[in-house]
Amino acid sequence: METAELKSQLKKQIVEFLNLTTIKPEDIKDDEPLFGEGLGLDSIDSIELIVLLGREYGIDIKDPKEGRKVLVDINTMVDYIEKNRTK
Amino acid sequence: MFYIYKTSCISPQSSYGSPALSELVASAGNKLMAQEPVYSGIPPGILRRMGKAVRIGIGAALPLIADKQETQGIIIGTANGGMEDCIKFLNQIIEYDEGKLTPTNFVQSTPNAIAGQLGLMQSNKGYNITHSNRGLSFENALMDVDMLLAENKNAKYLVGAVDEISAYNFRIEWLGGWYKSEDSSNLNLFENESDGSIAGEGAAMFLAGNEKQGSICRLTDIHFFQTDSAGVVKEALTKFLAKHLPSGKSPDLFMSGENGDRRMQKYYEACTGSLAANTPVLSFKQMCGEYPTASSFGAWAACEILRTQEIPMHMLRTSSSTSNTPISSIFIYNTYKGNQHSFMLLEK
Repeated sequence: METAELKSQLKKQIVEFLNLTTIKPEDIKDDEPLFGEGLGLDSIDSIELIVLLGREYGIDIKDPKEGRKVLVDINTMVDYIEKNRTK
Repeated sequence: MFYIYKTSCISPQSSYGSPALSELVASAGNKLMAQEPVYSGIPPGILRRMGKAVRIGIGAALPLIADKQETQGIIIGTANGGMEDCIKFLNQIIEYDEGKLTPTNFVQSTPNAIAGQLGLMQSNKGYNITHSNRGLSFENALMDVDMLLAENKNAKYLVGAVDEISAYNFRIEWLGGWYKSEDSSNLNLFENESDGSIAGEGAAMFLAGNEKQGSICRLTDIHFFQTDSAGVVKEALTKFLAKHLPSGKSPDLFMSGENGDRRMQKYYEACTGSLAANTPVLSFKQMCGEYPTASSFGAWAACEILRTQEIPMHMLRTSSSTSNTPISSIFIYNTYKGNQHSFMLLEK
């Protein structure tokens, strides 16, 4: 899968998993911070995102420090998925 | 008992904000689904995680507890809480082979999510509890408030009830014969003499306290019990009315929880037979459908009638005219599945 296609798919999955009803997938910028400013996600969302990575891409993040580096924006998530996905 | 100052209700009818009950909203697919308002008082980040039961419960309650200092506690009755989220959570356990599960569905599915979330949103650190007693959940919540008010004379409490239709629960109840097997409508709910009713859902909330000033009405008494005998219901009603009304006198209105299930008729007939023949009989389940805490909708509708002194025509079950004298007392009888029964007497 091309990177651009993966980014588009991931944005759709984030909107669906987190029930972001007021946000369209295409409105999420690739370098927009997921937490705090930007999308404004919180700690419960971070757990949802880790579960999403496990279910959809077979990635198991066990180390919280690793999670902090991955769950920054769409670019960092896609980069990590491309390197570590098992499905 | 206690006085009721404010009420709020999210139901299948136009009950939220400024209620307009004269037109009966029709059911679809043997279900009466709640009409959800725009939840302007709930932050979007919290709202997106809420299941329907939590949304309608909090949405109905927030207008009553806008003044954070006024409410000393939050007491909610719900038989099932967020059943839809509960089933999603359980299905995930199977779907993902007992792997990683998301917390949201679990958190939202617990019955106390509604009272708990309300307490968090309003920074209300007072008494906060949820009663889950099937068809008597709301009645147990009312009894709890009554005991709290006996101990805390100047306090005010939010009390109410919530239940939602979930796909799973509807299916189970339908298979159990509690919802009609044929296509039915609430517009002619009482004309079809078959087993079962139509499904409903809603949230009704009340602000309660001991002071008469500023009240809509008073919940004079409540009595609830379990039996499958219509004779026991009749006997209990005779005692209940004798306790509150002069001999031979009936309340101004009898609000019946009949739901179109022919198996329940004997209980309601036991009640009408104990009241004066000219007592007007009203029904409310054609408005809200059948669910374990439907009596809370009945109590809300009774408060509306006492407040406005107007009765929607579709509620009248008998030809007895409602005279021009003010409506000052309403008696509500409800049964859930013919074994849980409750009486409520509301007076102006």
